[in-house]
Amino acid sequence: MTISRRNLIKSSALGSLALAMPNIVRAQQTTLKVVWMGWPDNQVLPLMAEFEKRNPTIKLALERMPFQQIFQALEIRLNARNGDPDIFIVDSPLTASYASRGHLMELDSLIDKKRFAPSAIAAASFDGKIYSAPFGSSMQVLYYNKDMFKAAGVAPPSADPASRWTWEQLVEAGKKMAKPAENIWGFTFEQQERPYQLLPMGQSLGGTALSPDGFKASSYIDGPAFVEGFTFMQKMYTESKISPPGQFDTALTPELFGAGKCAMMVAGTFVFDTLKTKFPNLDFGVAPHPAFAKGKPVTPTGAWHFGVNARTQQKAAASQFVTDMLSDDMNVLWYKLRPYVPTLNAVWEKEAASFTSDLWKIAKYDVQNTAVPRPATPGFREYEDIVRVALRDIQSGANAQQILTAAAQKIDREIAKYKG
Amino acid sequence: MFRHPWAPYAFIAPAFLGLFVFRFIPIGLSGFGSVFSENLRGDMVFVGLKNYAELMEDPSFWNTMRVTLIFNLIINPFQICCALALAMLVRRPSRFIDVFRLGFIMPMTVSIALTSIIWSILLDPTLGPVNGLLRWAGFQSQPFFRSEHQALQTLMLVATWKGAGYWMIFLLSGLLAIPKEIDDSALIDGATGIRKFISITLPLMKRPLAFVLVADTAANFLLFAPVYIITNGGPNGATQLLMFEAYQAAFAYINHGRSMAISTIILGVVLVIAMFELRLFKPAGEDQS
Repeated sequence: MTISRRNLIKSSALGSLALAMPNIVRAQQTTLKVVWMGWPDNQVLPLMAEFEKRNPTIKLALERMPFQQIFQALEIRLNARNGDPDIFIVDSPLTASYASRGHLMELDSLIDKKRFAPSAIAAASFDGKIYSAPFGSSMQVLYYNKDMFKAAGVAPPSADPASRWTWEQLVEAGKKMAKPAENIWGFTFEQQERPYQLLPMGQSLGGTALSPDGFKASSYIDGPAFVEGFTFMQKMYTESKISPPGQFDTALTPELFGAGKCAMMVAGTFVFDTLKTKFPNLDFGVAPHPAFAKGKPVTPTGAWHFGVNARTQQKAAASQFVTDMLSDDMNVLWYKLRPYVPTLNAVWEKEAASFTSDLWKIAKYDVQNTAVPRPATPGFREYEDIVRVALRDIQSGANAQQILTAAAQKIDREIAKYKG
Repeated sequence: MFRHPWAPYAFIAPAFLGLFVFRFIPIGLSGFGSVFSENLRGDMVFVGLKNYAELMEDPSFWNTMRVTLIFNLIINPFQICCALALAMLVRRPSRFIDVFRLGFIMPMTVSIALTSIIWSILLDPTLGPVNGLLRWAGFQSQPFFRSEHQALQTLMLVATWKGAGYWMIFLLSGLLAIPKEIDDSALIDGATGIRKFISITLPLMKRPLAFVLVADTAANFLLFAPVYIITNGGPNGATQLLMFEAYQAAFAYINHGRSMAISTIILGVVLVIAMFELRLFKPAGEDQS
C-alpha cells in the first residue's frame, strides 16, 4: 500500500484521537462521592461495579465506614453543608432528621411509589415527600446452635410463628447452656445496645417508645412497660448471666455465635449468609423472634435507604444512581449479595423460589404481622444515641427506672429544637 | 542577617502563626459560637447567654462537671508522682538505663486511639487477658470499665500508662539540670534519701514541675478518645467528662451552641486552675515580683 498524503493525514488524525481518547472519556466522566456502610467487600463491590458498568461516564468514589462510626462521621460531613458526599446511606428512621435539616434532596420524581411496600415509602417520607430511596427493610429472627441444644438436652424452638418462644423460655434454655466462666453464653443480641433491637422488649409489653407526634419521650420510654422489659434484659447480664456483657461490636456477636460460644442470637436475616459462608461447619436453625409470655409479639423492622445530598453539584449523575439502584435487577442483585427484607415488590416476585425457607417464611410472617418501625421523629439521631447509652447503663446493672427517666428528659430537651 | 532588628520576630513568627491558627482562632470561634444557636437549616441565631443558662440548669451538665473535677483532682497529682518516680528511677546512669528509659517512653509513641483499643481489649471483663491473669492468680474477675465504681479509676490508670512516660521526659531534664555541686554539698552536710529529696530536689524542681502540672492539667481536661472509644461516658455517667459532653452536644445532639459553651467553660476552668497551680509552684525568690 502506498502512503498517500491523504492517508497520512487520516491516520495521524486517528492516531491522535486514539491517544486522546482516555482523556476525552475522563473529561466527560462524572465522579460521585458515595458514603456506604462498611459491609464486606463481596457484598458491596459487585453492586457498585455493576452500576459503573452500566454507566461508563459515572465513576463512584466509594467510602465505606464501620457501623460504629458511620453516623457521627456523616454528621460531621453533612454539617459542612457542601456537596460532599453526593450520595450517602441513610438508616431509614434518620430520613426525617436529615430532610428537616436540608441534607436530603427530594426524590419524588425519581421514585414510583407503586413499586414499593407502603411501609417502605412511609419510612422514606417526610412532610409528604420522599427523601430517601428504600433499599431494603429488615427482620430479626432467633438463630440457635443445634449442637449446643443437643448437648444440653434442650428441645430447640419451633420455626412456627404461632408457637414462638417466650423470653422466659429463652432464659430458661439459656441457663442450661451458659458457662460464663468459660466464656460460653446462652444468648446474645447481635446489636446489644441498639434501640432497633431492644425497643421490642418494651413494645411487647404494650409500651410506646415515643409520643405519636414524635416530640415527647417522658412517660413513654420511661413508662412501666419499658422499665419492666429492660429490667428483664438487664437480668440476662447480671443475674442469670446468659448474655456476654459489653459486646457492643456488631461484628463480634455473630463471631461468638458462629464460633459455638453462644447458643442463641437474635439477629437480622442478613446474617444468615454470613454465618453460612464464614462458619460452614456450624449447624444452626432459625426460629421466630421471642415475645413476653404476657405480652404480644413485636419485631423490629426498617433498614437501609440511601439519599442524595441536597447540595450535590452532580444532580444528573446522582439521579441516575437513584434510578439505576432502584431498578428491579439491581435490587435482585443487592438481595442476593446481602439478603435484607426486600422493599421492592418485584424482588418478592422474581425471587419467589428463595423465599420458601424457614428463615424467609418467618421473616415474611413477621414483616406482615408483628413488625413495628422505630419511632418517627426528626430527632431520631438524638433519640437513638441517648437510648443507646441508657441501654448500656442498664445492662451494667443501673436502676432501669432512673436511667430511663433521665434519658427521657434528655431526649425531650434535645428534640424540642425540631418543633415548629 | 541574624542581626537585623526583625530577625527574632521572623524566627518566632511560624510558632505564633501556628498558635493563632490552631489555638487562638478556634478559641475565639468557640467563644463567639457559644452565644449563638444554630437552627435546623444551619443559620446562626444570636441567643446571648442562653446556652450557658441552660447548662447551669442542667443536672447532667453538673454531673459531668463533678466527674471531670474528681478525675482531674486525682489523675494530675497521681500522673506527676508517677512521672517523677520514673524520672528518679532512670536518672542515674547504669548499665541498662537506656532500656528502662525507652520502656517508659514507649507508651507515648502509641496513639491515644490505639491505646484505648488495646486497653479495652486487655481489660474486657469476659474476654480480656487481664482477668484471665487475675483468675490464674486466684483473684476474682473485675468488671473494670463495665462497673460504675471502677470505670473512672481504670480510665485514670490507662491515661497514666500513656502519659507518665511523656511527662517523665520533662522532669528528667529538670533533674539532670540540678547542679552536681548542690547534690554533693547536701551529701557533705549529711542529707540523704528522703530528706535530700524533700529539701533539695523538690524545691529545685519547682519550675519543671509547674510546667508539667499545668500542661498535664490541660491535657487531662481535654481527654476524649478513651471515653469515646471505650465507655461512651458510662456506666451510668461515671466517665462522662466535659470534652465528651461537648462532642455529644455537637455531633450526636446537633446542638453546636451548647457544645461551644461547654468548650468555653472548659477553657475558663483550665485557666483558673492553671493560674492557681502556677502560683502554687512559683519558685522562691520570685514572690516579690
